[in-house]
Amino acid sequence: MSGPPYDEFEPVIGLEIHVQLNTRSKMFGPEPNHFGDEPNVNIGYIDTGQPGSLPVINKEAVKKAVNFGLAVNAEINLESTFDRKSYFYPDCPLNYQITQFTNPIIIGGEIITEVEGESFTFQIEHAHLENDAGKLIHFPDFAGVDFNRSGAPLLEIVSTPCMRSPKQASAYAQAIKAIMEYINSSDCNMQEGHLRMDANVSVRKKGETTLRNKTEVKNMNSFFNMELAIEAEIIRQIDFYTQHPDKDIQSATYRFDLERRKTIIMRTKESADDYRYFPEPDLPPLVLTKEYVDHLKEDLPELPQDRYKRYRDTLQLTENSAMQLVNDKQLSDNFEEGLKICKNPIAFCNWLTIEFIGRIKDTGKTLTEIGIEALQIAQLVNMIEENVITGKIAKKVADDMLLHPGKSPEDIVAANPDYKPLTDTSVIEAMIDQVLKENPDSIEDFKKGKDRAFQYLVGQVMKSSKGKAPPEKVRDLIKKKIS
Amino acid sequence: MYKETAISLRDRFLNSDLTALEITEYFCNRAKKLDPQIDSLLHSLSERAHLQAVKLDKKKKDGKALGKLAGVPIIIKDNIQIHGEKTTCASKFLENYVAPFDATVIKLIEEADGIIIAKSNLDEFAMGSSTEHSAYKTTKNPWNLSCTPGGSSGGSAAAVCAMLAPLALGSDTGGSIRQPASFCGLYGFKPTYGRVSRFGLVAFGSSLDQIGPFARSVEDIALMQEVLASHCPCDSNSLNHPKEPYLDELKESIQGKKIGIPYKLLEGLNPEIRAKFDDALDVYKSLGATFVEINLDLINYSIPMYYILAGAEASTNLARFDGIRYTTRSKKAITLEEVYELSKTEGFGSEVKQRILLGTYVLSAGYQEAYYKKAQKVRTLLINEYQKAFESCHTIALPTSPGTAFKLGAIADPLEMYLQDIFTISANLAGIPSINVPIGFDKDNKPIGMQIQGPQLDDARVLRFAHHFEKEANVFSHPPLFDKEVK
Repeated sequence: MSGPPYDEFEPVIGLEIHVQLNTRSKMFGPEPNHFGDEPNVNIGYIDTGQPGSLPVINKEAVKKAVNFGLAVNAEINLESTFDRKSYFYPDCPLNYQITQFTNPIIIGGEIITEVEGESFTFQIEHAHLENDAGKLIHFPDFAGVDFNRSGAPLLEIVSTPCMRSPKQASAYAQAIKAIMEYINSSDCNMQEGHLRMDANVSVRKKGETTLRNKTEVKNMNSFFNMELAIEAEIIRQIDFYTQHPDKDIQSATYRFDLERRKTIIMRTKESADDYRYFPEPDLPPLVLTKEYVDHLKEDLPELPQDRYKRYRDTLQLTENSAMQLVNDKQLSDNFEEGLKICKNPIAFCNWLTIEFIGRIKDTGKTLTEIGIEALQIAQLVNMIEENVITGKIAKKVADDMLLHPGKSPEDIVAANPDYKPLTDTSVIEAMIDQVLKENPDSIEDFKKGKDRAFQYLVGQVMKSSKGKAPPEKVRDLIKKKIS
Repeated sequence: MYKETAISLRDRFLNSDLTALEITEYFCNRAKKLDPQIDSLLHSLSERAHLQAVKLDKKKKDGKALGKLAGVPIIIKDNIQIHGEKTTCASKFLENYVAPFDATVIKLIEEADGIIIAKSNLDEFAMGSSTEHSAYKTTKNPWNLSCTPGGSSGGSAAAVCAMLAPLALGSDTGGSIRQPASFCGLYGFKPTYGRVSRFGLVAFGSSLDQIGPFARSVEDIALMQEVLASHCPCDSNSLNHPKEPYLDELKESIQGKKIGIPYKLLEGLNPEIRAKFDDALDVYKSLGATFVEINLDLINYSIPMYYILAGAEASTNLARFDGIRYTTRSKKAITLEEVYELSKTEGFGSEVKQRILLGTYVLSAGYQEAYYKKAQKVRTLLINEYQKAFESCHTIALPTSPGTAFKLGAIADPLEMYLQDIFTISANLAGIPSINVPIGFDKDNKPIGMQIQGPQLDDARVLRFAHHFEKEANVFSHPPLFDKEVK
């Protein structure tokens, strides 16, 4: 029995990403926009729905939204408006959300990113400002509401249905995260829910030009889970169409159950709320001047896509390495710091992203949190470049650096005689002579043109020097002796 | 002392003729003794008033500068927040709600050394034209205790009329200051939308609501507006317009100015009101004003427009009263659905429920185009019609109410009640300033009023026209029942 014909179908994916902006105060009130405090301390009149309270637009949130628009080459709407979206829930204190339904601040825009080595341009439909809800906290026999998050500023970024695989969706979302971090519009802390994603998913037979019914998978806050969720939803839909070739799937809202790797229906569209959007009478249109937008444009920092191009084209990093660095703003900033003194960017990138990140991957911490400065890693790379230590010893030095954060590689090497390189040619020659004496077969093989035999001999010498002999020198000396 | 205007009370305080404490005690006592006859007040703030009075007397003794409202007792409609005091909006739902902050107008009044002595009754959430929709009490008209003082700011109007204070604040969404001012024979002013901050006013129709004063003289209205009319950063619709010397501007002549009259709208008007209205125009004629006919036909659509737009806004503004936080939660509620449903059922009165339902309906998918959006378009046309009218005249005169104060309980049909606002709503829809001016009495000695309206931000002009009429016509008087001292 053959399975459903997955290859005959093409997924169509659009994302709605809610990004919490890292403003000092809330979207419509003066209270701190701060996570992690005791419940209901960062609350104000509007965020708890007090009668008589009125919203006032946070200028910093507007600036951060405009910066995003500029970063993705979108049109900045110089006269956007706000609407009320009505729904009843205890975490929504006014029982309406203030959002931009008809006339958003950001129109269009594009995200250029790479997916498995291929470059893609994904289209943004629009992005709009709105306020976040509070949070329900459930106790055994009652529920409470924490309004600290109520009124936090959100930028909801809505893509067109332009993605064709879970990997593309993930790449698009990661690129948005990177942009938000580069322009300092959001801290993008995934655990704290600064970036929440809804995916609109449909599938169609390859070659079809119209869209079939879509479903919405709600509220995902990790790229990995999102990929799994979209994958699961695609499979569910293809399975459905395979079993019911004449039917349409039902438009509905789903959530992802990670343990079962399944999307679970929450509600169908027929029972969906009527949000009764209408213009927010408490807020006049948000008017921006062209001068204001031009000014922000001039002040825009280097963006991830530009940095990516510089890494790939100027520094000659591989596309993978460049993408890995660029997508992690903090890591990339560390890299930039080290570049100031580092002589070999490619080696430095490898040491940073493979050796060091590899060593701390399981701690869940960043280099900065552990206390390792990028400059020290750059120093380590320079020491290899200058033949002060060998690559093999450098790995041991790296281990020590992580054991004693803050210690510079120079100090570590200076304090440990085992890490000092062998510079005395006569000692190295003695070792070579010994190795050659013990491996006459290899010499023969080498003379017959077997390169591997030569590598073996070099390896044996390095081993007997405990890695302290400079490999270049070893190579030169062996070649001289046997040819 | 009770007949004194705000300005003369203030001057007596400043000239050391009276202390702030004497004034406060006098009016608190008068309110306590007389209010049971009219039920105009919901809560006395005599403690707060005493503290403020003591402070003022000390300030004066210390030779410090005193504000424009120094020593003036003021009554506030109970839909305006005063920090630490109850704000009930005359609703059962907010029975126990204590305001966590001051409305901007309260701050401004207390900074100007005014003394807030009580909060007044209203139709629940300011929805009504008679105060009969208050969940607590029905206010009576001091001119005739079997009649309504009008609404929704009926408590403030009756209180100033019965001389429990020289000044009171109301709010006006469709006529809620001007109609009760008309029924009680007072000056009641709705400023230009955005001229007075709405921060701290419990919202009904956000794009229509304006706070404004009641007084027994136009000068007192001007005085209060000098205090209230300023830009407020907490209200995004507050106009960034400099303060104005309204009192000084009252004196400028209106000689040669043009008053627009929408004669077509007056056809079929109650003859008694029409006669007094025509007399009032004669007074203006004697002051040197001339008249032009203007077209305001869209006023005929103002009631449906208003009940759609105000209802839509109200349905969302009142959504926050849900039994979750500060509103009274139904004791019968167990599930979340029940908390919403039962609390609202028990908390809101019938008129409020009706308007929430209407507002929800006109915003619903499939109906919004036909109702809400169409009403918005007609509102724009009305604004254009007013703009065109003001090209040919300086102010507009028209009646305030189609009738005089009606008997309590006389109007049971909501649609008939809504017709009360036919002449007043258009000023809210167009956002323009409008004042009620008392112009005489009907055969039953009930007051009749006229409105003077002006273009947006020409509040001073409107007050000036009212002031000149007041001085020339000399028809203002006090209700005999309350024109006496109490022990």
